[in-house]
Amino acid sequence: MDAENSLGDTVRAAPELAVTLRVNGVHWELNLDARVTLLDALRERLGLTGTKKGCDQGACGACTVLVDGKRVLSCLMLTATCEGRDVLTIEGLSENETLHRVQEAFVRHDGFQCGFCTPGQIMSAVALLSEGRATSDEDIREFMSGNICRCGAYPNIVAAIRDAAGRGGDAGV
Amino acid sequence: MTVETVRMVGPPVDRVDGPLKVTGAAHYPADFSFPNLAHAVLVQSTVAAGRIRRISTRLAESAPGVLAVITHEIAPRLGRGPTTSLGVAPPPPLQDDRILHHGQHIAVVVAETPEQAAAAVRLLEVDYELTEPLLDLDDPQAERITNPSWRDIHRGDAGAALASAEVRVEATYTTATETNNPLGLFATIAAWEGDTLTVHDTTQWPYNVRATLAAAFGVPEDRVRVIAPFIGGAFGAGLRTWPHVVLAALAARWVNRPVKLVLNRAQMFTSVGYRPSSVQHLKIGATHTGELVALDHESIEPLSLEDNYLEGLTRATPLLYECPNVTTRQRQVRLNVACPTWMRGPGEAPGVYALECILDELAYELNMNPLEVRLRNYAETHPQSGLPWTSKGLRACYEQGAERFGWSRRTAEPRSMREGRMLVGLGMASAYYPYFQFPTQARATLDRAGTALVRSAATDIGTGTYTIMTQVSAEVLGLPIDRVRFELGDTTMPPAPQQGGSNLAASLGSAVHAACMKLVQAFLDVVRDDPGSPVQGCSLEDVTVADGRISRADAPERGEEYTDILERHGLAELTADGESAIRQDLDLAPGIFGAKFAEVHIDPDLGLIRVARIVAAIDGGHILNEKTATSQIIGGTVGGIGMALLEETVSDPRTGRIANATFGDYLVPVNADVPDIEVIFVGEAEPLNPLGVKGVGEIAIVGVAPAIANAVFHATGQRIRSLPITLDQLL
Repeated sequence: MDAENSLGDTVRAAPELAVTLRVNGVHWELNLDARVTLLDALRERLGLTGTKKGCDQGACGACTVLVDGKRVLSCLMLTATCEGRDVLTIEGLSENETLHRVQEAFVRHDGFQCGFCTPGQIMSAVALLSEGRATSDEDIREFMSGNICRCGAYPNIVAAIRDAAGRGGDAGV
Repeated sequence: MTVETVRMVGPPVDRVDGPLKVTGAAHYPADFSFPNLAHAVLVQSTVAAGRIRRISTRLAESAPGVLAVITHEIAPRLGRGPTTSLGVAPPPPLQDDRILHHGQHIAVVVAETPEQAAAAVRLLEVDYELTEPLLDLDDPQAERITNPSWRDIHRGDAGAALASAEVRVEATYTTATETNNPLGLFATIAAWEGDTLTVHDTTQWPYNVRATLAAAFGVPEDRVRVIAPFIGGAFGAGLRTWPHVVLAALAARWVNRPVKLVLNRAQMFTSVGYRPSSVQHLKIGATHTGELVALDHESIEPLSLEDNYLEGLTRATPLLYECPNVTTRQRQVRLNVACPTWMRGPGEAPGVYALECILDELAYELNMNPLEVRLRNYAETHPQSGLPWTSKGLRACYEQGAERFGWSRRTAEPRSMREGRMLVGLGMASAYYPYFQFPTQARATLDRAGTALVRSAATDIGTGTYTIMTQVSAEVLGLPIDRVRFELGDTTMPPAPQQGGSNLAASLGSAVHAACMKLVQAFLDVVRDDPGSPVQGCSLEDVTVADGRISRADAPERGEEYTDILERHGLAELTADGESAIRQDLDLAPGIFGAKFAEVHIDPDLGLIRVARIVAAIDGGHILNEKTATSQIIGGTVGGIGMALLEETVSDPRTGRIANATFGDYLVPVNADVPDIEVIFVGEAEPLNPLGVKGVGEIAIVGVAPAIANAVFHATGQRIRSLPITLDQLL
């Protein structure tokens, strides 16, 4: 439906487009508004609400997911650019009922309080480990500084990642 | 029955809700959905004062997917929520054409998708009639409120004592506006079915949301259900039921569909409160040997035009030290600003900052160790009432904190300590927060499977309420932790107070304790005349409970399982209710205490400030769970680092627009800003509640900023009397 504004312009409906992508191993064929971010597609279209919206401006890290194995801020990524890509969210991290070792370390070290930033923290930490960057506390602090934790669980987050890095052997996802 | 809750520091049990939180399975308010859900986006004023002459909605209404555009012109009259122990409810939104502050809600757009609603907002045309906004604390046109809560203190004669004091220090401290900025954007999902309303909301007080929405729409309270099992932080911002919550419910009623409304980050700066800025004038008088003879503390803070909030900046000043002559004065100035609210450590975090800094200034004036000045004026009894303290571990906080920190290696002279080329500064401060306990109810049920379900409509904003209440229930009932489920965050459960002011551990803990004790009693009642029971005729004092069994205290081998009793008597379950009641029989004054020690490293050329280390020694009474309590203190300490060095909400002085309403511009501590933080728990069980707890959420932040500010002075010799302290001030 189109309408006219006072300048005589028409307000057009946003174009819809088809996107095929894989999320946590599942293929999805989506028809959606071209403006929909990957974050909103996950949360509002696919029901994967584990990924959080903390700012919608790429500044807090709560929406961090892995796309083709690399961490991205899903609030800054349009779903339209995800054609054929492979997305991993917090829901896809643990296998069956077994927690990923980073998830398990976050529980053991109390690496969260309200838990809202936690999915993003954990996805960043998983990527950090697979990138081989979690070699010192200083590095962990530096490379995890894109993920804000307003509850202030940072020392415990560092402890959890240090622990997971030590236990890991193969640091891959 | 003896209950083993007297250990001073409880076991570091992992959070019971941890697995849900690390897998993305914990559902925060914005994570819920309903069939046929519509999406609402708020429209906010872009001016600070005046009225709306005309708001043109035609184009927005005709935009794709738009279901409604609700403005003051068509909104119904809405009732105001009840006044509570925390004060008045915010005035309801969209009731007239007046603009009282920048960022005020002026419309709500409802559409099929969030994208369509957000796009339609840009099509609204608003014509304002502007008036000159009041934005400056010194504006002579602004209304001034003197002694707003009638709590100004006049003890002795501070004026005369100051005039004759051997040593006098005067200073003015300012603190910046801070925004709570929990990471979770506040969200409300509202769904009506006839006159019944179901709401998922970001709140620290579900029952207050229920009462406010019932009042707004004129429906009975029991027709409103509010659900909040998980909250993405709040730090005080969720203590009031803000206008956007009412608007979400209004939108849902308007379009006759469930509606989801999520604030964006910029809206979080004007819609859910903030810590007001402060100007604090202090005068302190002492003897040459450091005994305080006079304290005078005046505070000035901004307030919105038609709502109420008081920070309580001078509340701790008459209580923290022995001092015969004390005057406190609170002042507020009504401006065209959004209403401020509680933010972690409200009152004390900024108020004790000023007090602890001027005490540090006094110590240098006296050439005395700052810790010694505090010890010399230690208040052995409550200084205002003269009553003994219920318990006070502040001396142990000083001693153990100083020992752990290595305070003795501090050399007195400013700029006298270095590490490499870095200036090193050591600072300390005392901390105090009031003890609160409110009426609370809980219900405990034990079933044939030997599993307990304990419930109350409280919230867990990340403090660990789920976990500590599970522990308390398990301990009182004598069950393994994995046989107990604690549920909260739903107004179909027994009423609980707000999660604020560190009250919930004491309030809810007492209610849960009482409910579980009564549940054990209920089992004893069932077998009172049961000759088949080994505990027949026993009272609570005669039994112990462990591993799901009730046994005779004098003959532990004589006992039976809860489930045996249920089975033998053909019962599916037993239930008991418990209440929190504050003890009235003690003529004692409670308080929560702490001592904070900070080390900063400052680049002498660049002024760059790094916090190197913090030790927090806390008297929080009995600590139920060492792990979650330590996390509380660490978290509050991080908040204190933000307050000291980073956080400042900046408003345009001409327009009232907030200039840094993003996480890119409003700086909060990130991982690399935070050093090792050591936490020590000292003190004794608090006698006012059966668990002996005081609460630790607020005391965690109090004293951190002044310890850092005092360390900055020790490092540099520069006394910066405004927060946040930034490197430009040191150059």
